[in-house]
Amino acid sequence: MSSANASSPLLWIHEDCISPTSPPFAEYPLAPAVWVWDDSLDWSLKRIVFVYECLLELPVAIERGDPVAVLQSEAERMGAERIVTVQSPSPRWAEIRSALRLPVEVLEPIPFVELRGTVDLKRFSRYWKRAQTPALLPGGTSPS
Amino acid sequence: MRRDFTDRDDLVAYLRHEFPSAAAIDPHVSPILGGRRQALGLLQQIQPARYAASRNYLAGAVTHLSPYIRHGVLTLAEVRDFALRRVANPFEALKFITELAWRDYWQRLYTAWGRGIALDREPYKTGHTDYADTLPPDLREARTGLACMDAFSRQLQETGYLHNHARMWMAAYVVHFRRVRWQAGAEWFLQHLLDGDPASNHLSWQWVASTFSHRPYFFNRENLEKYTGGSYCRECPARGHCDFEGTYDELSQRLFPIALDS
Ligand SMILES: Cc1cc2nc3c(=O)[nH]c(=O)nc-3n(C[C@H](O)[C@H](O)[C@H](O)COP(=O)(O)OP(=O)(O)OC[C@H]3O[C@@H](n4cnc5c(N)ncnc54)[C@H](O)[C@@H]3O)c2cc1C
Repeated sequence: MSSANASSPLLWIHEDCISPTSPPFAEYPLAPAVWVWDDSLDWSLKRIVFVYECLLELPVAIERGDPVAVLQSEAERMGAERIVTVQSPSPRWAEIRSALRLPVEVLEPIPFVELRGTVDLKRFSRYWKRAQTPALLPGGTSPS
Repeated sequence: MRRDFTDRDDLVAYLRHEFPSAAAIDPHVSPILGGRRQALGLLQQIQPARYAASRNYLAGAVTHLSPYIRHGVLTLAEVRDFALRRVANPFEALKFITELAWRDYWQRLYTAWGRGIALDREPYKTGHTDYADTLPPDLREARTGLACMDAFSRQLQETGYLHNHARMWMAAYVVHFRRVRWQAGAEWFLQHLLDGDPASNHLSWQWVASTFSHRPYFFNRENLEKYTGGSYCRECPARGHCDFEGTYDELSQRLFPIALDS
């Protein structure tokens, strides 16, 4: 169906979500997925080998170049009209995401603990005062 | 890029060819294998109840899960949930879960500070401002003459993994004994660690340096000898006269005399 096809996503797998269980695969199990080796990386060979071995267990196309250009051309080639990925704290990830000229759906990573409102991060001890109780529960959420 | 390889050697040869600048940084390939299957195998072996008492020893019950957690191959949540199933009472896994929480904490700071994690968050509490900008070549080349530091340097570059205590000793050696700014050491670690993560790495270096803690972290030889089972000190050419000899008070006088005066 052309309308379903038109909204079909391309999954962007990046360095924080290299798992077959990560949210994009769980949400869109049939969608094509891509990994892009970012030309700006400054890693030694052993890091690249390790990550490549992780990627080989996933249904992803492994590409290389400028991530924005590669993601756009892959989306076009596959007839995808949006990109689905996972939130990352990396500023480089944010740059790529905001430079994309396609709609981007950002899924939340599976949380370690869910803490509502602002969390005082001045020192670990302050964070831990809030996080300890839920952190010791399966799923990381306090029973409400 | 290619997805079909006959074996690991085939993959490595291909990647050496495709990424010559990465091979030029360092040509080694780690014995640690990537992939979720490998990660799930390691997860089966964790011993959360033994962790608290032994984790500071190089031979302790640490998990080696960091490269997988770093890349989301395993989530902190699934490792925690698995650890909870391994113990009768959640408090038996408290120390292990607290260490998982350090990663969550650093990630939250990274979200808040972005590239700001690479800047000194606070002034050094060492009394010094004259830190060198670059890593001493003898450390990179594992020629310091200190058996421990030379072994850690080789292990970092050859395997991409170091025990947490070795990371702390090395960071303290670079910043406090060699007086090099923490950023130089942190960038070196990031190139090599398979778990290299800007947040955990930079902020741990800042914690050691004292630019994100109340006081500098340092150690003496007795401490290193105890937690390594003496293996480095026994064969060290600097045995008996290394930089780390002395009590904590003596070392503190030597390393931070200005801070102590004020
Ligand atoms: C100078 C320095 C640099 C570091 N750089 C990194 C880095 O780049 N990436 C990284 O993941 N960790 C880093 N750490 C933290 C810690 O050393 C490693 O996470 C740990 O040694 C990994 O080994 P493991 O999986 O056997 O740990 P375990 O002791 O088995 O711990 C289980 C998991 O908890 C997490 N964890 C444990 N301790 C810490 C900690 N102090 N901070 C953050 N997370 C922790 C890791 O995900 C680890 O895999 C650094 C520590 C120091 C002192």
